[in-house]
Amino acid sequence: MLAAGLAIAWLAAVALAPLDGRRRWVGWVAAGALAGALLAVLALGAEVLRAGPVTMVPGGWPAGVGIVLRADALGVLFAALSLAVLLAALCYEVIGGVDSRTFPAAVMFMAAGLTGLFLTGDIFSFYVFFEISMIAAYLLTAYGEARQVGVAFIFAVVNLLGSFLFLIGVGALYHVTGTLEMATVAARIGEVEPNTAILIAVTVFVAFGVKLGLFPFHFWLPAVYTGSRAATAAILSGALANIGSYGVLRFGADVLTEPLRFGSTVILILGSASILYGALQAVSRRSGAEVLAYSTIGQVGYVLVALGVGGVVGLSAAVLYAVVNSLNKTLLFLSNGLRGWLVGGAFAIGAFSVVGVPPTAGFFGKVALFQAGIEAGSAVLVGLIFLGGALSFLYMFQIYQHDFWRGERTEEPTTPGNRVLIAALAALVVAIGLWPEPLLAASREAAEALL
Amino acid sequence: MILLTSALIAVVFGAGAFLMLKSDLFRVVIGMVLVSNAASLTLMAAGLGIGAAPIHPLEGPVSDPLVQAMTLTALVIGFAVTALLLSLVYRVYTSLETVDLDELSKAEIRREEELEREEVSI
Repeated sequence: MLAAGLAIAWLAAVALAPLDGRRRWVGWVAAGALAGALLAVLALGAEVLRAGPVTMVPGGWPAGVGIVLRADALGVLFAALSLAVLLAALCYEVIGGVDSRTFPAAVMFMAAGLTGLFLTGDIFSFYVFFEISMIAAYLLTAYGEARQVGVAFIFAVVNLLGSFLFLIGVGALYHVTGTLEMATVAARIGEVEPNTAILIAVTVFVAFGVKLGLFPFHFWLPAVYTGSRAATAAILSGALANIGSYGVLRFGADVLTEPLRFGSTVILILGSASILYGALQAVSRRSGAEVLAYSTIGQVGYVLVALGVGGVVGLSAAVLYAVVNSLNKTLLFLSNGLRGWLVGGAFAIGAFSVVGVPPTAGFFGKVALFQAGIEAGSAVLVGLIFLGGALSFLYMFQIYQHDFWRGERTEEPTTPGNRVLIAALAALVVAIGLWPEPLLAASREAAEALL
Repeated sequence: MILLTSALIAVVFGAGAFLMLKSDLFRVVIGMVLVSNAASLTLMAAGLGIGAAPIHPLEGPVSDPLVQAMTLTALVIGFAVTALLLSLVYRVYTSLETVDLDELSKAEIRREEELEREEVSI
């Protein structure tokens, strides 16, 4: 049961790799397999929410010897979210016409990597799955115009450096704790000398900071997002960035709890810097993709701030905001470049959700953040979240005005299928805003799984 | 031995980082390879011990087989990534006819200026 989603995605990826992805049926087969994997993960999620975390040791090894697969509420939530985002982006691209042989297979490999990464209980397999999804991401960023290859190269080099830093962190964790299993590492890290533990935590944090595009490590992000195809940008910010959010949550709040307590001030400061920097840069940009790219930098800052606050309130706010933000960004990046009244309406819903206006999903993300700010008892934090929201209102509607009211969007005509897809995504964002209980319960469950 | 290993890793990582800051894309790739090898060496060093080969039946103290398995995996991933990076460099060369980052960024700046001019004319 646990491995079903992973197995479907993986087998489909291997089977699709030699086929020509420009053929329409290959794309639809990939979408079907992805939907199957999503259903398997959702079924697993129902089981986890009912009966608690599920653990499995593949290969029939006794526990403690074999490599552990472990599904808890946090992992399942992120796995389902990422698969849904990948499915939306894949359908979008297949409807619009795929231009590259490798696109469907790369998406499937990323699905396999992400599912494995969120459902593993072992830090080294985490690294392996992480690399599988990153390699798929390097392929996806190179998809597009010719000049995009240069950008993809820089993206690959910067993120590889992050990956190898993480690998060094894994080696160091193994050295000081003598195990690779997350639960055992978490139990033993308290006995490690604090200086060593903090050094390891910083290495791991920098690795995830690069993935997230957090303020001091963001320099690669705008160029990659602006040059990519809409589907690739949606995948990067909706699915791949989840690695960073999940990574800081899992490694920060679950595995390296002690170092996180020491470093919470630094995390709060970096998160705040990210919020302000991203929002101010976004206000000064004029092209839709660029504004969204800088907005991404700002939005991950909120996740970090909530993590810095900690506790059930802070962590569930971080989970909730990461989920909502990933849906918002998928909707906005996919609708960027399309035109028509349906797309305009969907974009406006996405923009309202980024700002946090009810009845969109973003409202509950912002409410959870305000709760976290009040929990921390810090007026500065609450003010900062408000300021970030106000700035995001400014930049989102600047773009809306520029793109839709002045009729700047006169690119290729959109296929009706994609407009319907965008409208469905927008409807999902509104539906979560109208009936938020399942998501709120899941994020609270996820936060409790961490503590 | 620990000092020697860490000094070795530091030198390899440093050389890699130095090469990554060069503008020639091939040097960047070589730098990446060196950094990946520094990470592999760190993994090896994480379980550095003197012992017999860990082959069944075990006799006396054996060296840690886990770090070797991890290093092997990391090496394979590093190999795949190097191949991918080199193919990206090749595609950069065929489509933009340069492997120099300075030239690439100059082309990028020219493109941005063109975009800006279009913006103004609107």
